[in-house]
Amino acid sequence: MKRYTMTRRSFLAAAGAFGAVTAMAPRFAFSQDGSVLTLRSYSDLQILDPAYRLALPEDDIIRSIFAPMVIPQAGDTWGWKAIAVDSIEQLDDVTIAFTLKDNIGFTDGYGQMTAEDVKFSIERIADPAMESPYAGDWSALKEVEVKDKLSGLIHLKNKFVPLWTTTLPTPASCILSKRAMEELGDKVTTQPVAQSGQYILTDWQPKQKTVLKRNPDWAHEPGGFDEIHILPIEDPATAERGFEAGDLDYTWTSVSSLPRLKANPPAGSVVLEKPSLAYVWLGINQDVEPFTNPNIRRAVQHAVDRQGVVDAAYFGAASVGNGIIAPGLPGSRDSVTYEYDPDRARALLDQEGANSLSVTLDILNQSERLTAAQVIQANLADVGIACEIKQNDSGTFWSLGSKDGDYWNKLQLVLSRFSMQPDPSWATVWFTPEQVGVWNWERFNNAEYKALHEQGLVESDFAKRDEIYRKMQGLMDESGCYVFLTHEVVGAIHRNTLVPGLKPNGESLFSEFKPA
Amino acid sequence: MLIYSLKRLALAVLIVSVAMFLLFTMIYLIPGDPASVALGPRATEAMREALLVKMGLDQPVWIQFWNFFVNAWQGDLGTEILSNRPVFHVVMEQLPWTLALITGGMVWSIALGIPLGCWTAVKRGGLADRLIGVFSVAVIAVPSFVIAIYALLIFAVSLRWLPAIGAGDPGNLGDQLLHLILPSLAVGLGWVGYIARMVRASMLEVLEAPHIRTARAFGLPDRQITYRYALSIAILPTVTLLGVGIGQMLSSAVFAEIVFARPGVGKLVYDAILTRNFPLVSGAVLVTTALFIAINLVADLIVGYLDPRVRSRL
Repeated sequence: MKRYTMTRRSFLAAAGAFGAVTAMAPRFAFSQDGSVLTLRSYSDLQILDPAYRLALPEDDIIRSIFAPMVIPQAGDTWGWKAIAVDSIEQLDDVTIAFTLKDNIGFTDGYGQMTAEDVKFSIERIADPAMESPYAGDWSALKEVEVKDKLSGLIHLKNKFVPLWTTTLPTPASCILSKRAMEELGDKVTTQPVAQSGQYILTDWQPKQKTVLKRNPDWAHEPGGFDEIHILPIEDPATAERGFEAGDLDYTWTSVSSLPRLKANPPAGSVVLEKPSLAYVWLGINQDVEPFTNPNIRRAVQHAVDRQGVVDAAYFGAASVGNGIIAPGLPGSRDSVTYEYDPDRARALLDQEGANSLSVTLDILNQSERLTAAQVIQANLADVGIACEIKQNDSGTFWSLGSKDGDYWNKLQLVLSRFSMQPDPSWATVWFTPEQVGVWNWERFNNAEYKALHEQGLVESDFAKRDEIYRKMQGLMDESGCYVFLTHEVVGAIHRNTLVPGLKPNGESLFSEFKPA
Repeated sequence: MLIYSLKRLALAVLIVSVAMFLLFTMIYLIPGDPASVALGPRATEAMREALLVKMGLDQPVWIQFWNFFVNAWQGDLGTEILSNRPVFHVVMEQLPWTLALITGGMVWSIALGIPLGCWTAVKRGGLADRLIGVFSVAVIAVPSFVIAIYALLIFAVSLRWLPAIGAGDPGNLGDQLLHLILPSLAVGLGWVGYIARMVRASMLEVLEAPHIRTARAFGLPDRQITYRYALSIAILPTVTLLGVGIGQMLSSAVFAEIVFARPGVGKLVYDAILTRNFPLVSGAVLVTTALFIAINLVADLIVGYLDPRVRSRL
């Protein structure tokens, strides 16, 4: 009988082979048939509950798998499109009537979608006990009244104009199964049950891929593809290379790549440029020296060459913005009150005896922000203000102005960017007195501004709203706390074999992507 | 061998404990409010406070550390704050992808580094020796993320031979291997240089040893002398080096996972730090630290097994 002995050589060989085999964890599968859309999201999903969603990519998945009453309309104008409802209309200032489509079912045996499910889904977001960050979307809700199996009335406590722009067309109108939620717990996690949308989530591989498949039981306008594969890729440059290598069908691009991609698009692809709703500004903390002096704040407003900053940071792809409200929305402006005038800035500084100021400018550590900050630094140096740029990672940056931290009273200048929904109140809300030390880091504190904000929430006349929001931005100008820079642009690239479903600001609507 | 193993194990436990202390200290010193970052701008003050309580950040620091230390040794790494999933589960989902990546990197470094080291030792002083010497130093000096980006641009974007992003279908081994080629090359190429230099130096020493001269005197073929009698001894320092190399590759894996949009522990930690997801950061770093120490322990034990002289030294 042959006796087995382990030599050093056989030990090394066996160990190497074992390592290679176990690391690969061999499992075999066959390629799939049918049309597959592969696209990029900027983050992985973390929770699929309409009441607790965290990021835009989750919104898109939630809207695809839990039928919403309405979704934003794809195209170049803001509007909405009915999904789960046959009809929905505003009867008066405080009443909205809806009727569900008849044959929408929940998966996993949870039956047909009814008006009771609508009542449950909306009221749980508004319920203070649920502590949903999106309770504000339904802050005007009084109750949802069920009329019969498929229809009901949404009663509001007061008129709420943003309802049709930033509440109903968001996941705040997605309908969950009341029975499933009561049986399975109070939150939807990353493993959804009782799905009801055009697609159903069939596979989530954390940090790698989310797979949506066309819902075979969806009896209405079907999704455009058999499957949608969503790849979480934070870095836009990585996504662009993935697209160029043929691994993606659609991706957002960085603004800095837009000129190159537009000049020389990869074969068989279409490059898109969409106006963004985001707003970027230089903030000046009015509660910290030397900016407690309004004339010094004003000097900074005059010192910054906004056109130069935007051209340098966005490679000519973006244009200068004149406020916090993007073009096309009520309140959008064509100009600011205090334009680039370095002589005036110098004169103001001389007048205040501030001839050797040194200040700090905090920014997020992104290339576009750094470029913008460097131009601002040069502009300020030109009028005699020495500016030190301080770069921060996102975790640090987003707590700089918090009243709970210890930096808000050292924060002088800050380059910020916020995004918003297509209603001006979404932009103005962050600069109210209640937000001082929360998200209002300039500590701009104006009672008239607050009153106008509240007036805008209940004013439905476009011209009057336009006037209200223009006036509010005028107050921001006047405070000297703001230098408005740009609304940016959104770049995207897709195969010419598909038609992307995009909101007017370029944000994707996965369920609206169709083959060309 | 048993006493040697026990001593190494005790040392590993001590190192993990010290690493846990350092890790906790570093996390505590990072500025930023985890609750605000995690919950976003729409969260109320009450919600932020509730999350801080949930994360235990309302407790005194020493209590936070003690809880972390005790729970970690009991295998409880806590709960991920956003998805409410156990941290251990989240880390273990990502760990195989990182292990596959560093194993791939090791395969590249061993498959190229050892033959190159042997060849340059045998051909010492020749043109090939000099060229490979320059190549070895060059790949050691170039950062792995530079290699990653160039490999991606050449082989994925320009030539389209290999995929650019992702890790392949979890059910498809061939697809996974294709997706592994470029990232593992990026992670492992630097170590080709290290291993080639190390093997060359060891081989030059061993090739002068009396038993090799004796083998030559007996007329054994050069190939047999090189690979059977010289390499088996010259490889020993390389085994220890590989243990250290795995630690370095764990660091490089972060860049490869970001550049190639692969899942993995490196990317998990990177994202968790940006979002101040402290339970996830501490859990993931602790697991990788323990893994690194375990790998080095195994490397030490292997060397101890292969070379009895080492066992008697500890």
